Parts: sequence; structure tokens; C-alpha cells
Amino acid sequence: MHLFSVEKYGETTAVLKKVLIVDDSPAEIKLMQSLLEKEGYWPVGLNDPKLVEEAIAHERPSVILLDIVMPDRNGYQVCRDLKGNSEFNSIPVIMVTSKSSVSDRFWGEQQGADGYVTKPFTRDELLRAVRRFA
Amino acid sequence: MRHANVVILTDETEFARLLTACWQAERQAPLVTVLTSDLWQEQEAPARDLIVVGPLREGKLTKVLRSLDPSTAVILCTPADSKEFSQLRTKYPRLVHVPLREDWAQTLLLVAGESLRRVEAVRLARQAERATAKNENHATLGRYMLEMKHSVNNALTSMLGNAELLLLEPGQLSSQSLAQIKTIHSMALRINEVMQRFSSLASEMQEAENASQAETEETSSSISPRR
Repeated sequence: MHLFSVEKYGETTAVLKKVLIVDDSPAEIKLMQSLLEKEGYWPVGLNDPKLVEEAIAHERPSVILLDIVMPDRNGYQVCRDLKGNSEFNSIPVIMVTSKSSVSDRFWGEQQGADGYVTKPFTRDELLRAVRRFA
Repeated sequence: MRHANVVILTDETEFARLLTACWQAERQAPLVTVLTSDLWQEQEAPARDLIVVGPLREGKLTKVLRSLDPSTAVILCTPADSKEFSQLRTKYPRLVHVPLREDWAQTLLLVAGESLRRVEAVRLARQAERATAKNENHATLGRYMLEMKHSVNNALTSMLGNAELLLLEPGQLSSQSLAQIKTIHSMALRINEVMQRFSSLASEMQEAENASQAETEETSSSISPRR
């Protein structure tokens, strides 16, 4: 499993809130990581949605940013699986997606998503959504 | 309905005169051109929706019909016992024949009216087909744009986000770079607005289509026969 994790925090990591970013686009993971790092979060990126459970078990994030359109396993499926799993269902899931229609948002809520941010987002929109939970 | 063009092709002046007079008495008279068989040979055929072939000089009928486009609507008004006609019947199955009897003018007007209505209906159908083809092209373009929306939004995310990241530390940039990044940022926001308007339009059109379909289904169910 390849996690786009930041090692530089060393001993201070315990006080930082971890954010798991699940997106198939490394460029977008990097962007969100940069935005969150500047606000004092510890972002961890994952570009393979099949490994979400493993990553959560390993990283124990405070919040998950989840893309929807991804190969092999889409964000709706991931969210549904996490919310149906008693071990992970307390972790807030924010969908970060370019699917912007009312029905997409509604369907995201039906899968148990706690927040919904549409791409392209501004820095403020992303941070506002994350701050609600971490 | 637009004015129809009718060509009366005959070598008998009285036939043309009577038919033209009858047509002029009608509420919707077509534009009539009268030609003799000699003139028909000499000149290029004028634009027409219908050709009424009246009595011609001996041996001219076959030559005239041979020169006609098979898709042209033709009403032949000749004596019922014409030998030439009976031979032509097998070659031109769509040829409409009005026997030259006592009431030929009234019958011909009725048949010609129907024939012109058919020509108009075919013209409208072709026009509708062309419009449909054009709309299908537009719909394909629209669908393509909708499919591309996801990719455009992803690209915009990177553009906007990275521009914002750079603008967070303006002190590290020259004033020119700062201005350029601000331009990139504002242009990306503008593209985003355009995409959002496009999405709203697509949603409105979908809603209108759903409403129209529901209305059609409701209407068709209300007029379906009761068992």
C-alpha cells in the first residue's frame, strides 16, 4: 500500500489531526495535502480506493476526504461500506467530488456521507468542511 | 401553406385555358405555368410541385414523360382509350390518370389538390428530418460537454487550488508573478461560473423533458381505449 504520508512531523504527529484523502488523482491529493498542511492538519493520501479500510486501520484518521469517480471502487461504494462497518462508521466522511448535481449530493447523503464538497472548491470551502469534524 | 407551382403541359389551348380558369376560382390557387410540348423540349424545366399533362400532339406523350424526373408528381389528363397511355401505365405506376370526360376539370382539381397536399406533406417531413438531424448533432455536442464536465472540474480544482496556494504566500513572489497568478485564479473562477451555468441549464432542460414526457404519458393513457 502506498500512502502519500508526510514523515516530517516526527514526534509532533500525536497532536495533529489526521485527514485521509482518497482520490485517484495524485495531483489532487497533493493539492489537498498542501492546503491542509498549511492549516496544521496531517494529511495522508491514498490513490487506491480498494485499500481504504487498510489505510484507516493503519492511520486512524479524524476525517476522510473521499472522491466519488474512481476506478474499481467508487466513492459511494466506499462510503456505504465504511458506514456499514462498526469499526469505522464513527469517522466522518466528506465527499469531495466534481459530481455537482442535486441528485449526486442526495445519493451521497444516502450512503451516509457527513459532508459534501464539490470540485472545483476554494481553499475556504475545503477547510470549512474539514473544520466541522476535525 | 406556401404557393405551389404547377406546370400545365398541353398542346390544346382550350384545355389550359379552362383548367387555369378553374384554378383561379379556387381559394388557394397555385402558381401556374402553361407550356406546349415544343416549349417543354426547348427550355429547362421550371420549378414545379406538380405537372398536369393534357392532350398533346400524337407521339409527344412518351417523349415528355421520358424527360420527367421519376419523383415528380404527374397527373395525366388524356382520353381513357389512348393507346399511348395504356403502354405507359406499366412503366410509370405512380402516374395518376384523369380520363378526359365531361367532368374532367372538377376531378382533376380534386386530384391535383390532394397531390399538392401530399407534396407539401413530403416537403414538411423532409424539413422535419433535416431539423431532427441538426438537433441530434446538437444533442451529441451537449452530451459530450456533459461528459467532459467531470474532467473540466477536476482540472479547475488543480488550477484554482494551486493558484490559491501560491497566493497564500504573496511575499515570495514578484509583483508580476503575483498579478499573473491572480489572473489565472480569476479566469479559473470564470470558467467555473460558465460550467455551473451550463450544469444548471442541463438540469433545467432535463426537468422540462421529464415534465413533457410525464404529460405525454398522461395524455396517451387518458385517450387509450377502455376495455
